[in-house]
Amino acid sequence: MMQGWIQIGLTLIIILAITPIFGGYIARVYLGQRTFLDRVLNPVDRLIFSLSSVQPQAQMTGWQYARAILFSNLAMAILLFLMLMLQGFLPLNPTGLGAPSWDTALHTTISFMTNTNQQHYSGETTYSYFSQMLGLGFMFFTSAGTGIAVAIAFIRGLTGRPLGNFYVDLTQAITRILLPISIVGSIVLVAAGTPETLAGAIVVPTLENPNISQSIAIGPIAHFEIIKELGENGGGFFAINSAHPFENPNGLTNLIQILAMISMPTSLIYTYGVIADNRKQAWLVFGMVFIIYVAFIIVTAVGEYQGNPLVNSILGSSQPNLEGKEVRFGWAQSALYAVTTTGTMCGAVNAMLDSFMPAGGFILLSNLFLQIIWGGQGTGTAYLFSYLILAVFVTGLMVGRTPEFLGRKIEKNEVVLTSFLLLLVHPICVLFPGAITLAFPEQLGGISNPGFHGLAQVVYEYASAAANNGSGFEGLADSQPVPTALWWNLSTCFSLLGGRYVPIVALLLLAEGMSQKQPVPFTTGTLRTDTVLFTSVTAGVILIMGALTFFPVLALGPIAEGFQLLRGA
Amino acid sequence: MISENLVTIWQVWCRRKYPTYLFLALCLNLVFASTVFAATGDAFSRSQVYALGVLGIGTVCLSIYLFVVMFQPERF
Amino acid sequence: MKINLSNIKPVPRNNRYARRDTPTAALEGLYQRAIRDAFRKLDPRIAVGNPVMFLVWVGTIVTFLVTLDPNLFGTVQADPNQQRLLNGAITIILFLTVIFANFAEAVAEGRGKAQADSLRSSRSDTIAYKLLPDGAISQVNSTELRKGDRVIVKIGELIPADGEVVIGVASVDESAITGESAPVLKQPGTDIASSVTGGTKVVSDELTILITADPGQGFIDRMIALVEGAKRSKTPNEIALTVFLAVLTQVFLIVVATLSPLANYVNTPVTIAILVSLLVALIPTTIGGLLSAIGIAGMNRVAQFNVIATSGRAVEACGDVNTLILDKTGTITLGNRLADEFIPVNGHSVEEMAAVALAGSLFDETPEGKSIVQLAEKLGAKIDFSRTQATGVEFSARTRMSGTDLPNSIEIRKGAIDAIRGFVRSRGGTIPSKFDDAYEQVSKLGGTPLGVCKDGDLYGVIYLKDIVKPGLKERFDQLRRMGVKTIMLTGDNRITASVIAQEAGVDDFIAEATPEDKIDVIKREQSQGKLVAMTGDGTNDAPALAQANVGVAMNSGTQAAKEAANMVDLDSDPTKLIDLVAIGKQLLITRGALTTFSIANDIAKYFAIIPTIFAAAGIGTLNVMGLKSPQSAILAALIYNALIIPALIPLALNGVKFRPLTADQLLQRNILIYGLGGVIAPFIAIKIIDVLLPIA
Repeated sequence: MMQGWIQIGLTLIIILAITPIFGGYIARVYLGQRTFLDRVLNPVDRLIFSLSSVQPQAQMTGWQYARAILFSNLAMAILLFLMLMLQGFLPLNPTGLGAPSWDTALHTTISFMTNTNQQHYSGETTYSYFSQMLGLGFMFFTSAGTGIAVAIAFIRGLTGRPLGNFYVDLTQAITRILLPISIVGSIVLVAAGTPETLAGAIVVPTLENPNISQSIAIGPIAHFEIIKELGENGGGFFAINSAHPFENPNGLTNLIQILAMISMPTSLIYTYGVIADNRKQAWLVFGMVFIIYVAFIIVTAVGEYQGNPLVNSILGSSQPNLEGKEVRFGWAQSALYAVTTTGTMCGAVNAMLDSFMPAGGFILLSNLFLQIIWGGQGTGTAYLFSYLILAVFVTGLMVGRTPEFLGRKIEKNEVVLTSFLLLLVHPICVLFPGAITLAFPEQLGGISNPGFHGLAQVVYEYASAAANNGSGFEGLADSQPVPTALWWNLSTCFSLLGGRYVPIVALLLLAEGMSQKQPVPFTTGTLRTDTVLFTSVTAGVILIMGALTFFPVLALGPIAEGFQLLRGA
Repeated sequence: MISENLVTIWQVWCRRKYPTYLFLALCLNLVFASTVFAATGDAFSRSQVYALGVLGIGTVCLSIYLFVVMFQPERF
Repeated sequence: MKINLSNIKPVPRNNRYARRDTPTAALEGLYQRAIRDAFRKLDPRIAVGNPVMFLVWVGTIVTFLVTLDPNLFGTVQADPNQQRLLNGAITIILFLTVIFANFAEAVAEGRGKAQADSLRSSRSDTIAYKLLPDGAISQVNSTELRKGDRVIVKIGELIPADGEVVIGVASVDESAITGESAPVLKQPGTDIASSVTGGTKVVSDELTILITADPGQGFIDRMIALVEGAKRSKTPNEIALTVFLAVLTQVFLIVVATLSPLANYVNTPVTIAILVSLLVALIPTTIGGLLSAIGIAGMNRVAQFNVIATSGRAVEACGDVNTLILDKTGTITLGNRLADEFIPVNGHSVEEMAAVALAGSLFDETPEGKSIVQLAEKLGAKIDFSRTQATGVEFSARTRMSGTDLPNSIEIRKGAIDAIRGFVRSRGGTIPSKFDDAYEQVSKLGGTPLGVCKDGDLYGVIYLKDIVKPGLKERFDQLRRMGVKTIMLTGDNRITASVIAQEAGVDDFIAEATPEDKIDVIKREQSQGKLVAMTGDGTNDAPALAQANVGVAMNSGTQAAKEAANMVDLDSDPTKLIDLVAIGKQLLITRGALTTFSIANDIAKYFAIIPTIFAAAGIGTLNVMGLKSPQSAILAALIYNALIIPALIPLALNGVKFRPLTADQLLQRNILIYGLGGVIAPFIAIKIIDVLLPIA
């Protein structure tokens, strides 16, 4: 048992250590300060800008920035969709895969474009190397870069700067942050034992009967893995994702994957501190999320460690719940990985989330509902600071002034955008399709588990789509050619798009509005937002506003399931 | 003469927009409720389905009303 | 009038306005009228204006329908009579919730109306004598008067509308608006004394008045409209809060609307009545029901301070003010300088000088003169001549001296240093160097030196001192703690100004200020993003009053100043600006506190309702309050939800207690009371109601 906790503790310490280093680096990149990669990358950037005729100095308004995101993403989506549909005619297709069904291709396109990587297919039997490497791999970088660009534009707006230029921010996110780390990271992963090859599946005779041969799928995995984690993408090369021994062979690769997926969202909070010149606030906000994160890990890990009471009563002793887990990771690393992947909206898994105990299921769902226990690439950080704005609005009146955040008054527009963004989009994208599916479970759902767990599966699927996470509770008949796949593919597209672009547009308009406000000078009558008191108030607002909305769902899902299990039914 | 009357009736009709909306909602319900009725089978009686349909449309109207409040709060 | 900032009461003591306008009869009728209004507000066209309550109202209709027929929306398993009973109870409670919220608003409006009624009585249509261009006089109704008309008002008549005196001198009784019983002299030409207000009464002579306001636009009309809440438009803050409440309501509407399929899927169906109850319990009914009452009550509080605000926006802006610009004279100091010390020269003793000063000020009716007499008498000085045989010499701008001619043709003079010096020389006296030292010393202290002489004999210098109003320093300290900076404006020189500034404890001062400086200071502060409040009365204050975010004109001031300002103080007390800041803050705090309280309540309501209605799903353990049954839990939560509205009406109307603390202290305090209290209180209250409810 101690070993498990030590693994978790060490990982947390490393996270604490890299946050300021990495966060500081991102801030330097976006403040236009000198970084060690400048000499190599400045000419590259210039080449990219001149080839794409982007004027790097041109500032964008919030709406222009949003339009740039929407149109560039649309163009990329069309390209990817065509690529997937035509993969039969394209090279690098050693296994000779044909075109997927149109709805699967559409869902895959939208899912990867929105940085979600929800997969209603098995990678190794659906998409060719060309589709995976060039098509999906391309989206790995651009969708993650889009998220970073949004976060940076948002931070700039909050601190009263012009928002910047989307194309420049996106390019720099890829060339300065994602690519360099991915190159180094994939080499480390290869060294640690992850395969990287363009050869087709390996055909070997089985051990039991040498006359029967089996083919073992392999491919260019290492470079795919690192950006999968770093960009909070999470779409696995193989169907079982990071539980596959080729994707995640050992404890070292597992550690690297956890660090890769959590490093961006944690560091972006610090980046805010540097750009806003208020590191104290950054650390307080970081601390608030960190405490919730650790609490979530503990609840999940304890649940897994104690195991299933029904199984324990048969065994006669308490054993960890290892069903759906890789023995090489055990309960501790599986729990840590699961809380991290749902918190950061990565969505990669090294154990089947469906098999977690109800306590874990509760936490994983809560992560998807809250969306800020680190949160998605860039957007999570922006949500976090939007929550600060909301908390300022709700409680700030109590100091007898119009609420202010960073010296800027929170007025009607800010309230419309923040409350819409934080409170309304998610319930609409999760509860509506969820309710429709559960109203017609046979016709639409194809749910493997009836009762409370089935409800959790359905809600999880939409929550994962709307939060742009991509992991699944599985057990849903959502892959072609089953009849319910069409409904799943199309209805999750609604959640994917709504959960991605509505908040992004709202965030950018919010940032634009904040940047244009005349700052009010700070006095003793101004509410300080960088205090322990205010940060605790924010935590309260997050829990009441973010979690209470979904309390009935949690009660009818994992909570009811947990009590059911305790009663021994 | 008749055309004039028709015009007058049409104008009165246009002015009374709330009854129009109500009428359209009930028409919509006719379609909506029948679908629900067909889908649920024996669980509900015909009148219950119509009542549920009205309730559903009412809820959607309330939701639209709340969106109007959100984006044009000055009107309230 | 002196009000302690830290202890604002709804009706301040010693308030002339309050004395005039709290007839008990009006208050008795208030509640009856409010109850009538509460039902009148059920009209959907009115109810639609309050989104949260409108939803409750619609919910009431739905639960009423399922009371009539429990199987309306689907066959219910339970005994239909029992269902009918439960649904009926829910309907009644929801209906009461709406009524309570309407009642809160109606009471707030009613209190405003009570104030307005007494004003309206003075405004009732009067007959006006309009002066036609050809010199003829025609009798018209006061409502027919337009801007630019001239009217003649004789003794005993009401002035028909706001205007300027163009001909005549008369005393006017303004008690109808100021509560001040002493009549005021009105005459043309002078800035302050020429403006008259509609509804006031001429008590001597006759005036010709140029009307400056169209009917319905005058002060009284504006005041009536505002205190009644009739023409109330939402303030920016209220609008933001309305949006927020609409979003919350929308969220919970979605949560509840989608709950039914989820519950059916896990075989724990819920009835429509229970879903409506859950919705009503979750949406922020407390703040939704009290929001408009808080706003109206804020306006009333301003009116009770005898200030007319032209908009709620201005009242709210008071809370946000960063900088107060205050005139020295009349605001920070008592209007007049008072004698503080006699500094004798030429070998005279203080007593000798006091006697001369007393003699010289005998006929001086100015406050300065009276204060000299007072000081001299305190020092034991007496006059040694018959008062009737002496004659007073009045101050004139030319001589810059005043004094007394004694019977034996001795002339005593006091006045500006230069003038006295000239007078002494002309009488053959000499000026000792000590005299110059004395007056320089007085100047350095920020005082005004007055020379005193008896013929050619120079007696010394009287030290006239500016007296800072008592208690001001403490209030400026409080303002500083709240983050409000004070800037003093004065025409005095730098030295004088700095002495007074230090004594009064203002943060900054502008010496030798011209009216133009005022507007420059405002613009400078505003360019730094600050909100500025100021008071003014003269015509040349008008641009600055218009520029300031909160401009308070004195009622004694000119029409131009009043037009430019967004508030008018009927008592003409410039110090009231400080009280207005407190009222503005109190208004915002009340709104924030009730919002926080309302939202924090949701936790308890969730824990009361969800575990009990989904008891079939086996989550009964979450029923931490141990409520008896689903029916009892729902009714208890709804009863709490309904009763908390009337319980908080006094708080909404009177405002939360305001303390001049820093923002962090205020947040800490209010979060504890309204945030944490809002989480805990409903747990206790719902449990108690559950125990008291006579159902299983």
